[in-house]
Amino acid sequence: MTKKPLSIKQILYSNQTRWLVDHGFFAFFLFATLLSSSFIFIVVGVIFQRGITPFVTDNFGLGSVNLWSFLTGDVYLTGDTFYSSQYQIGYLIVSTLYNAILALLLAFPIGVATALFIAKIAPKWLANLLRTVVEILSSIPSIVFGLFGAVLILDQVYFFTESLGFQSRAGLSVLSTVLLLTMMILPTITAISEVAIRSVDSSIEQGALALGATPTQKNFKVVLASAKSGIFSSAILGVGRALGEATAVSLVSGSRFSGYSFNIFDTTATLTSRMLEGMKETQGVDYSIRFSIGLVLMVVILITNFGLNFVKRKIGRVNV
Amino acid sequence: MFKQRTLQKIKDLILQTLTVAFSSLSLITLSIIVIFVFQTGAPLLNLDLITYDYTSNTYISEPILEDGVIEFCDCDPTITLEETSFYSRKWGVALGDDLDVLGKGVVTITYLHSESPLRSLKNKGIGPETFSLLPEYYIRRIAFYGSPSALDIYGAETVVSMLDSQDNFRELEVITKGGGIRGSIITTLWLILLTLVIAIPIGVSAAIYLNEYASPNRSIVRYLRQFIELLTGVPSIIYGLMGLAFFAPFIANITEATGPSILSGAMTLAVIVLPVIIRTTEESLKVVPLEYRQASFALGASKTQTVFKAVLPSALPGIISATLLSIGRIVGESAALIFAIGIIIKDEISIFGQSTSLAVHIYSMMTDEPANIELSATISLIILIIVLTLNILIKLLTNRMLKKLHPGGII
Repeated sequence: MTKKPLSIKQILYSNQTRWLVDHGFFAFFLFATLLSSSFIFIVVGVIFQRGITPFVTDNFGLGSVNLWSFLTGDVYLTGDTFYSSQYQIGYLIVSTLYNAILALLLAFPIGVATALFIAKIAPKWLANLLRTVVEILSSIPSIVFGLFGAVLILDQVYFFTESLGFQSRAGLSVLSTVLLLTMMILPTITAISEVAIRSVDSSIEQGALALGATPTQKNFKVVLASAKSGIFSSAILGVGRALGEATAVSLVSGSRFSGYSFNIFDTTATLTSRMLEGMKETQGVDYSIRFSIGLVLMVVILITNFGLNFVKRKIGRVNV
Repeated sequence: MFKQRTLQKIKDLILQTLTVAFSSLSLITLSIIVIFVFQTGAPLLNLDLITYDYTSNTYISEPILEDGVIEFCDCDPTITLEETSFYSRKWGVALGDDLDVLGKGVVTITYLHSESPLRSLKNKGIGPETFSLLPEYYIRRIAFYGSPSALDIYGAETVVSMLDSQDNFRELEVITKGGGIRGSIITTLWLILLTLVIAIPIGVSAAIYLNEYASPNRSIVRYLRQFIELLTGVPSIIYGLMGLAFFAPFIANITEATGPSILSGAMTLAVIVLPVIIRTTEESLKVVPLEYRQASFALGASKTQTVFKAVLPSALPGIISATLLSIGRIVGESAALIFAIGIIIKDEISIFGQSTSLAVHIYSMMTDEPANIELSATISLIILIIVLTLNILIKLLTNRMLKKLHPGGII
C-alpha cells in the first residue's frame, strides 16, 4: 500500500506544540484587534447609557430633565444649588459652533497660505524650517496653550477692549477663545493642506504656465483648485479639533451661565468648558448631566463632519 | 493690454505678500509661546522644584527644659560657615536668607551643631512627642516670653540676634520645604509606564493581525480598521468621561481603589494612544520586504517564528517611534485625566489613589484662586522640553528608517 504524501500543513504541524503556539498567538492577535476595535462602541455605549439617565429618571426628586428645553434653552442652573432640573445647553451648542467657525475662518486662509508657501514658493531651507515650526506647534499640549492664553492673550484682549471703551471680564471673551483656538488648529490645517498641495501633479502646473499664467496665478488658480479636496479635509479636521478642545478653552472662555451672545467681547462657554466646571460632584444630576453634554458634543461633531463631508463631495466634483 | 499686465502684476504682488505674511504667523506664534514659557518659567526651574513635596508641613514646637533651664550649647561651629549665614553661639545654630521654590524670601537653617538644644524639641502639634530640627526646614516664627516674636520677614541676621538675646522661647514654628512637583512627576512616570504596558502589547498585536494575518480585501477587516480609526476623532474629554464611568468603577471593584485612580487613568490613556500605536506599527510592518517572510518560511519557520524573528525586528524603529509618540501624548494629556484621575495634587503616590500628572497639575493650579502662574509656566517648560526632545528623537528614528529603506538616498 502506498502512503499518501503529507500536505505542507501536516508537515508544519507534525509537532503538536508548534501547532499550539501558532494558533495561540493567532488567537491573541485576533483578540487584541477585536478589543481595539470594540473600544469605540464602549465609549459610545457608556456615554449614551449615562447621558440619557437625567432624561428618563426623576433625578432623586428634582424631576426629569426636559430634552427639548435641554437642547434649545439658554439658562443653565446647577441642580444642587438651585434645586431644579432646568439644565439648558442650547446656548452652549450655539456658542461652541460659533467659536469653532470663527476660529476656522481665521485659521483656514492663514493655514492654506502657509501650506502653499511651504510646498511651492519657499526655498528649501525655509520650507524645512517652517515645516519643523508647524510640527512643533502641533505637538504643544493644549494645557500649555491654555496657560499662554490665560496669561498673555487675556491681558492683551483686556487692554484692547478697554481701549475700545468696552469693559470685558478680565479679557475672558469670545475673542480670546477664538484667537487661542486659531493657534491650536492652525498647524493641523497647514500640515494636511501642505501634503495635499505637494501631491498636485506637476504636469497641471506646467500646463498652466504654458498657457501664460504668472507663477502666482498658477499657484492660486490651479494648484489650490487641484488640491481642493485635501485642503477641505484639513478644514474638517481643524473644526473637529476646535469643537473638542477642552482645557485650554475653559481657561479663557469665562464660563457663561446663560444667554445667547454673539458679541465677540462678551464672555462665552463651550460644551467642553461646561463639562469641566464643578468637578466636586461625584453623583446626582450634576454628575450625570456631564455625560448628556458629552453625548451632545459627540452628536454635534458627527453632524458637523457629515455636513462638511457633504460639502466637500459637492465642490470636489469639479476637480481639475 | 499693458494696463492689464500692470494690474496682474499688482495683484500678484499683493497675493505674494499675503502668503509670506501669513506664513510668518506660525513662526511668530511659536516664538511668542516659547519665549513666554521660558521667560515666566525659567526663574523657578531648579533641582529643588523637582525633588520637593508640593504641600509644606508646619511644625510648632517648644524647648525641652531640664530642671527648668535649657542647656545651652555655647560652642563654635565645627565647619567654616559661609559669610551669608549668621551663627548663634548660644544656641549652636546658623541661619541664612534664601528663596523658596516659589521665589519667596525665607529664613533657612544652614547649620546645626550636634550639641545644640534645638536638636530635640517638644512637638506641640499632632504626631510624635519629640521633634528634631533638621537643616532642610525653614524657620517661620520664634515666639518669646514677654518680647516680640522673631519673624522670617525680618531676615536671618535679625532673627539670630533676637534669638541670642533670649534665654528661652515659647514657640518655634518651622515649615518643611514645599511647592515642589515630585508627586506629579512620579504620577506622570507611573502613567507612562502603566499605559505603555497596557497599550503596546495590544496595539502591536492588533497591528500584526491586521498586517500579517488578515486578508485586506475582506470587508470585516476593513470595518475593524475603520472602528479603530474612528477612535482618533473622539475628543479626549469624552475619553475622560469614559474612564470615569467605565474604568474607574472597574478598577475600584477589583482592587483597593475607592474611586478614580492612576490605574484607571492609565487604562483611559491606553485607549487614547492605541490607534496611534496601531497605525505607526502597521506602517512600519508594511515596509518590511515580503522576501523576509518568504525566506523565513522557506527555512521551515512557522508563522509565529516568522512574525517574531523575521518581521518584528525590522519593524522595531516603527514600534519605538510609536512608543515615543505615545509618551508625548501621555505627558501632554489633560482633559481626559481631569476626569479619569481627578485634580487633587498629592505627594504620597499610590497607583490605586488619585494624584495629578504634570499637565493636570498646571490645570489644578490655574483653576485655583489665585492662579500660580510662575510654577505653571515652569511645569509647562518641563513639558515642552520633554515633548521637543521626543519630537527630535522620532525625527532621527524616521530618518534612519528611511535611509535604511532607500540606501541610495531618495529622500
